Parts: sequence; structure tokens; C-alpha cells
Amino acid sequence: MSGRKIAEPLSRLHQTLAGGDFAVTAECGPPRGANQEVVLRKAGTLQGYVDAVNVTDNQTAIVRMSSIAACTHLLHTGLEPVMQMVTRDRNRIALQSDIMGAYSLGIKNILCLSGDHQSFGSQPDSMNVFDIDSMHLLRAVRTMRDEGLDMSGFELDGSPCMFIGAAANPFADPFEYRVIRLAKKIEAGADFVQTQCVYNLPRFREWVRLAREQGLTEQVYILAGVTPLKSARMARYMSTRVAGMDIPEEVLGRMAGAPGQQAAAEGIQICLQTIEELREMEGVHGVHIMAIESEETVGEIVAAAGLLPRPVPVLPGR
Amino acid sequence: MIVGTQKPIAEIKAMVKPYRRLLVLGCGTCVKTCFAGGEDEVLALSSALRLAFRVDGEEIDVKGQTVERQCEDEFIQEAAGGVAHCDAVLSLACGAGVQAVARRYPNTPVLPGVNTTFIGVREGQGLFTEECIGCGNCVLAEFGGVCPITRCAKRLLNGPCGGSRNGKCEVNPDTDCAWQLIIDRLKLLGQLDALRTYRSPRDWRPGIAGGPRRLVREDHII
Amino acid sequence: MPAAPAPGITVLHCINALTDVAAFALHSTENARIHAVKLPCSGMTRDIFLLKAFEVGADAVVLFTCPEGACRHLDGNIRAWKRVERVRGILDEIGLSSRRLSAFSIAPGDQEAVSLALRKVVSELAVLGPNPAARACPEITSGLTSATTS
Repeated sequence: MSGRKIAEPLSRLHQTLAGGDFAVTAECGPPRGANQEVVLRKAGTLQGYVDAVNVTDNQTAIVRMSSIAACTHLLHTGLEPVMQMVTRDRNRIALQSDIMGAYSLGIKNILCLSGDHQSFGSQPDSMNVFDIDSMHLLRAVRTMRDEGLDMSGFELDGSPCMFIGAAANPFADPFEYRVIRLAKKIEAGADFVQTQCVYNLPRFREWVRLAREQGLTEQVYILAGVTPLKSARMARYMSTRVAGMDIPEEVLGRMAGAPGQQAAAEGIQICLQTIEELREMEGVHGVHIMAIESEETVGEIVAAAGLLPRPVPVLPGR
Repeated sequence: MIVGTQKPIAEIKAMVKPYRRLLVLGCGTCVKTCFAGGEDEVLALSSALRLAFRVDGEEIDVKGQTVERQCEDEFIQEAAGGVAHCDAVLSLACGAGVQAVARRYPNTPVLPGVNTTFIGVREGQGLFTEECIGCGNCVLAEFGGVCPITRCAKRLLNGPCGGSRNGKCEVNPDTDCAWQLIIDRLKLLGQLDALRTYRSPRDWRPGIAGGPRRLVREDHII
Repeated sequence: MPAAPAPGITVLHCINALTDVAAFALHSTENARIHAVKLPCSGMTRDIFLLKAFEVGADAVVLFTCPEGACRHLDGNIRAWKRVERVRGILDEIGLSSRRLSAFSIAPGDQEAVSLALRKVVSELAVLGPNPAARACPEITSGLTSATTS
């Protein structure tokens, strides 16, 4: 059973995808503190440009305002959040508890992840949890939604009917296993996936082709990730230091060739060209724009890519 | 075997400082094999401690003794004489041995000279690697003989995570990605299909999460 | 004021590298007192031999090995150098300078190299001074005690 066969859309994002529109999502990192103004400010720059906004969960293991809280602040601005949830910091008791709480607050999309290891973050001295992995979390949310049962088999008083997402990385090792992994995530419960950012289009195209061959693109909505590069240094850093990132020489060359202030503009150009190609790919249903610490460029990109206006589906009774 | 490393001398020195007569007690099994607490290490550490105190203008009476294993009382009792004539015991055994000695000689402070780290194997000359965390319910058959619970930094049962680079874990470039090893091994065994199977969440009760464990073998109790 | 006693140097040597200890005698009289310890192979060096030498009063400890690739027992000299490195680390950790412990590889019969090495150690000791962890004990005059459990 996949999200595509569900009769009623579970969220605005779901409705956009089900309606056949090329979806646009972006990302919002909560502040390293209790200042919700940061969230509201970022929301302001995204209004009208996106169908939903991912809110990260202590990303890179750096302690930030919780995803569930930041999602709730976003809800009040009218934006639809996608709550990211990692299994690094919470056990199955806390995770299920937060899923129920999130849905009760009006959060309708969830992205299930394992999470970056705590050694990368601001508290490398902490104990990690990893009681369950992202696959288990997908299955748990799916079971809570479709069967109304928690992980212990208890019948829930109110099911969290969320639109369930997973991450997919077509560029990670080992390549031949990546499509098997996508199939597994769909079977576990993913309705949609958001991929790691795409710079190597031929390789991405190949992954989509393999997924299509296995019928997977009929079972899950795929949103391809894009990140506008801001400088040659950023490109080189991401290429060498971030695992599962594939930036071809050609792209590195373009960034290196653009002088000073023009580098950022070149990065956006590359991003726009990537989006254009993604829109043509059969089996790609949307784009996930991860403009790290430059959320203000999202609107510029969405407009220049010809993705405006965003459809604003109204869900019945909500 | 249990692997450990000797504590830094400065830390040991600070621990033993209050005592005039010290017994350094070695163990001839696991810690000997990983060069942390066997007879050679007892001798060298005893000498180093005497020298260290003398450099400070102080004297400490250090005697050394090594028993076969400090996890069995019959061997621990062989140290009775040495323990009777000391103010404190510096045990170079693993944490289990230190505690067993402390139980046998409750009136004498028993101090740990070794940081016990893991259950592992000698992978090569001077190289020891962690292999097992004693989870209590071994599922190595499902993973081609490579343990994802011990060797995957995220304990994934449905890995890999996408963070590996050239077959190495994102947490430490010297560490093999356990899931890469699992995939490679299952390929060799012609069992790669096993990876399509969803592995359910683990029941952690047989492991340390359920509290410290006990084994009782009635058939060996007379 | 009585002259400061000549520094005590304990020399461990592989009998394959050094068969003739005449060079020791040369140095033994004036500028250093040398205690020699013979080993069938430098690879037989144990940490305790090196540390114990300092315990019984040596101001410096020197190890002579066969040159790299020339060890009769293949890698005995490599093992010895690694142990020397480890003990040098311990010496620094406990406040005894690692410069008091050194190792030299000697081609068999190379008396000149032995003399050169010993002169180096003596001049190093002139800077370092006597072993601060030495204490008066009979072992100093009679040489190394056997390195068994104390």
C-alpha cells in the first residue's frame, strides 16, 4: 500500500503530488536557542514559494530547537511543515510519543531518518540511542496510520495519519544497492522520498531509470534534492568532505571559473539548469531545495525556474 | 578476548599516591594478550611507578604479582599473601577482574590500572578490533557473519546509511563500514537477496539495557 | 670539594653487533662508568631491563643493535627499537628525560661507531645531569640486578 493509493490526501504536499503538479519543498533549520523569531523570519522568505517546508531534527547532531516545536511555529504562519525525525536521539517510546503529539498539533508530514552520528555535532560526548533505524521508523508510522496500532500492538486512541517520507541517496556507496534500498523503504512505508542533492545528472538519471524499471516510480513520489553552490570553496568542501555527495569535475570547474561575486550567481544557474532537467525526467515528481543558511534564495530559484505560482490546494474540512 | 589499554601513568600515579605499599596485580589471560596487564606489563609498570615517585623525591613500595586469571576466585586467592602486605591493589585486569578481586578482598582498596574497552580479536600484529558487544541474541547468521550491532556506528539493522565513503564509516575513516562488509560477504555467499528482507526492530532485553546479566547453570552446581 | 662521580651508563648490546668490548674499557676509566649487558639478540630487550637500569642508578641507558636488515634473527633489532621508543615515552611521562635512553645500530666490529655513540651519550649527560631517581643502593656498584619480580 503506498501513499498514491490513499483516497484522501493526507496533507497539502500529498495533494500537490497526487494532483500531478511538480512539487517544491525547501528546508528550514531551527535556531540554536529558544528564539522562535528565527523560524518566523525564515518562514516569511518561503511564503508562496513552496508546498511544504522540511524542519530538520538536530541536524548534524548540533543541538537546536526541536523539530516538533519549530514545525508548530511554522504552522501558525500558514506554511505546511515536514517534520524530520532522526532515530539517533530518541528511543521507540519517545519517537512514537512525539509522532502522536506532532499530529495532534497539526503536523501532517514526516521524514524518517537515522541521523548523522553524534560525533559530528555539538555534543560528541553524549550517548546515542539508535534503538531503531529509519526503516523501523517508517514501518512504525505506517502501522500507526493504517492499522491504528503502536509498535507494541496497542490500539491507538486517534491515529496519526501522516504523509510519510524517507531520504534516498542515489550517490552513496555502494551504488548497486541504492535501488534495492529504495524498494525496501517503500515497502517499509515511504509515500515519498527526498534525495541527496543532485549535481551528477547522468548518474541520477541512471538511478531513476533503474527505479522506474522496477516499478518503484509508480509506488513512491520522488523529490530530487538541489542545493545552489555559493562558491568554489563550498563546492570543493562538499565534494570532498560530505559523504554521499557527487559533484562532477565539470560543475567544480564552472564554480572555480566564476570570479568572486559571480560565483553565487553561477551556482544558481547550475541549480536552475538542474531543475529544468529534473522536470523532464519521468519518475521525478518534484524538487527539494536545500539552500543551506540562505533560505532567501529559494524564492529567487523557484521564480526563475518557472515554478510559480504554487498550487494552493485546500484540504476538505481543514 | 577482552581488550583494554593501560591507563596513563600520570592517572595511575594520582590514584596510588595515598598508599605507601602497593601490589600491582597482573592477569595472564586477556590483558596479557593485548599487552595491557600481563607479567611483562606488571614488571614495567612497577618499575616506572617507583621511578616516578623517586623523581618527586618520594618512595613507594611496589610489589608485583601475576595470576592466571582475575575472573576466577581460585586464582585470585593466590594473591592473598601479597594483598595482606599492601595498602592497596592496583589491578591490571579487565573491569570484571578488578571487581572480583575487590569482592575477595573487600578491606583493601582495589584500583583499576587498565581501561577495559571491548570484546574483540587480534586482527594482526599489534591490532585489535571490536567485534561483539554481548547483545545476548546473536543474529550473525543473517548478516554473513558481520555484526551490524557492534560494528555499525548507528546499530542499523537495515543499513547502510549512505554516509560511508570508499567503504569506510563516516564516523572514522579507519573503520570499515560494517554494511559494506555485510554486502560484500553476502555477495560471496550468494545471499545478497537477504538484504531485501526487512529486519524488525530489536528486542534489547537480552542485552545490557535489561540490567546486568546473570548466567546460572544448574547442571554445574552440585 | 670532591669531583662529581663519573656518570653511569648501562649498555645493552647484541653479541652479534658487538663482540669486542674494548671500546667500553676506553671510556670506562675517565668520563663514564660503563655496565655492559650482553644479549643474544637485541630483540631480547624487554621494557623492564631498560627501566630497571634507571632504578638501580644508571644515568643513561644505551642499546647497540645490528644494522637494519642485518639482524641474524630477522627483525630482532626492529623490535628492540620499537621497545626503546615506547620506554622513551614512559620516561618522559614520569619526569625522567627520554634523552637518557638511546639506541644505535652498529656494523659488527665498528669500534669507531661505538666510541662515537658513547661520546654522544656522555656529552648529553653533561647537559642532563645525574639521574634524579637514583638512590644509594648496593646494586649501583655491582651492576644490574636480575629483572625478576621485586
